[in-house]
Amino acid sequence: MDYDVDVLVAGGGLSGLSAALAAARNGLSVLVAERGEYSGSKNVSGGRMYTHSLKKLLGDKFSDENLELPVYKDTYEIYNKDRKLSFSFEQKNKKNSYTVLRSKFDRYLAGIAEESGVAVSYSTMVNDISREGGIVNVHTSRGDIKTPLLIEADGVGADVSRLNGRKLTPKYHMLGVKEIIDKKPDHDEAETRTILGLTDNIKGGGFMYENRDTTSIGFTLKVESIQDDANTKTTPDLIEEFREKLGIEGKVLEYSAHLIPYYGYDNLPPVNYDNILVAGDSAGFLINDGFTIRGMDLAIESGMIAGNAAKNIIDSKDYENTEIYKKMLDKSSIMNDLFVARPMFNLLNQDNIFKKYPGFINDFLSSMMDITDDNRKKLMDVMFEKAHENGMSVASLLRDATKVI
Amino acid sequence: MDLLKRLALNKYGTGNESHINVNTDICKTCKYKPCTKVCPAGTYEPDEKEILIVHYERCVECSAALIACPFGAITFKYPENGISYTYG
Repeated sequence: MDYDVDVLVAGGGLSGLSAALAAARNGLSVLVAERGEYSGSKNVSGGRMYTHSLKKLLGDKFSDENLELPVYKDTYEIYNKDRKLSFSFEQKNKKNSYTVLRSKFDRYLAGIAEESGVAVSYSTMVNDISREGGIVNVHTSRGDIKTPLLIEADGVGADVSRLNGRKLTPKYHMLGVKEIIDKKPDHDEAETRTILGLTDNIKGGGFMYENRDTTSIGFTLKVESIQDDANTKTTPDLIEEFREKLGIEGKVLEYSAHLIPYYGYDNLPPVNYDNILVAGDSAGFLINDGFTIRGMDLAIESGMIAGNAAKNIIDSKDYENTEIYKKMLDKSSIMNDLFVARPMFNLLNQDNIFKKYPGFINDFLSSMMDITDDNRKKLMDVMFEKAHENGMSVASLLRDATKVI
Repeated sequence: MDLLKRLALNKYGTGNESHINVNTDICKTCKYKPCTKVCPAGTYEPDEKEILIVHYERCVECSAALIACPFGAITFKYPENGISYTYG
């Protein structure tokens, strides 16, 4: 049956452009349908990209010109009442991860893709799909496009997957809300801050990242936790409160929000359908292992794998059979790292991390760093006493500690 | 900072037609209206009769309300233009 392009990519963000580049390098004809008027216009950066996958994608062409700043310092802050525990890790000139602003970066990456022979159609929405004669007819806002293979890179909303019956639920999504502040850092490497305990009892945390000329602040909260009856505040009120508590000064330049997939290894949605490969956020790829939070590198990596799998599938002429993509993913660092992060991801999903640990840790430190008329107690005894006072048993403490290791 | 002032910082290409439709018959029976709490842009606002008003021009297309609604009362189609972030 005749078709228009070998591969149609729905979405011109990081995974879509990576998939398109890889497919084009494999000699396939590729068209990207991007909903925004430019790549990145609908994106909200998660803040920081680990650049290993981008380096693989761009090879000699890699430069950090369109990224923001290399991250040299990670700070963690755990607030509880009028107390705060904070600690930092610093390593200068590491340059393995950068802060990113997507409007600028994705446009740059789209430029590279276009130079490499990828056609990008902007302001183009995928409205529906139908299948005929073993191929897909993709109904876009600019007309129908027939293709044997559709790479879904349409982001967390996963519209193509939803057309295939997938449902999105509050349980597996976080809402990120971000403000860009007119505050230029006074150093040429970036500090990132992860902030716990400032969003009431809502599951999630805050962040702050330094960019070249601005500072990004905001939080990511579990959607199910915002809508829970225990929370009476609206998201816009929560972000205002958060900013006030942090004491951030400076003019707001942009206010943005985006959903974040939060599935984890145990709940990943399907990565392939007949004629369809799913990559990046639309495949639910996000890793939080307590030390790193990653999505953008996984988007680039899965996009490249999809572009390479596309070559195999087109050559096989059996366009409906997309199992090879799943097999390639299973062997990749993406699935390995999701699996390795599984215990920590599940631990960080527990209620007590947000509701009990900040109080426990601060109670413990407050007690250890105080001298009173009472006899000094052993560290272990103080720890267990404070755990108990915060509604946690010794057994649960040990169980959680085991998960971390 | 007032929410509307914050939203006014963003660049929108808003059409004359709402890209969001809510089934207000369902909303009338929904006591907690999670969409009003979850939406970061104040798009959903109940009037004095508890009927939802949709300020579609505020929408930042994050889909949070869509997945938060327990009754599937919100139908959402991406707008033709909508939001274009300068920083993102």
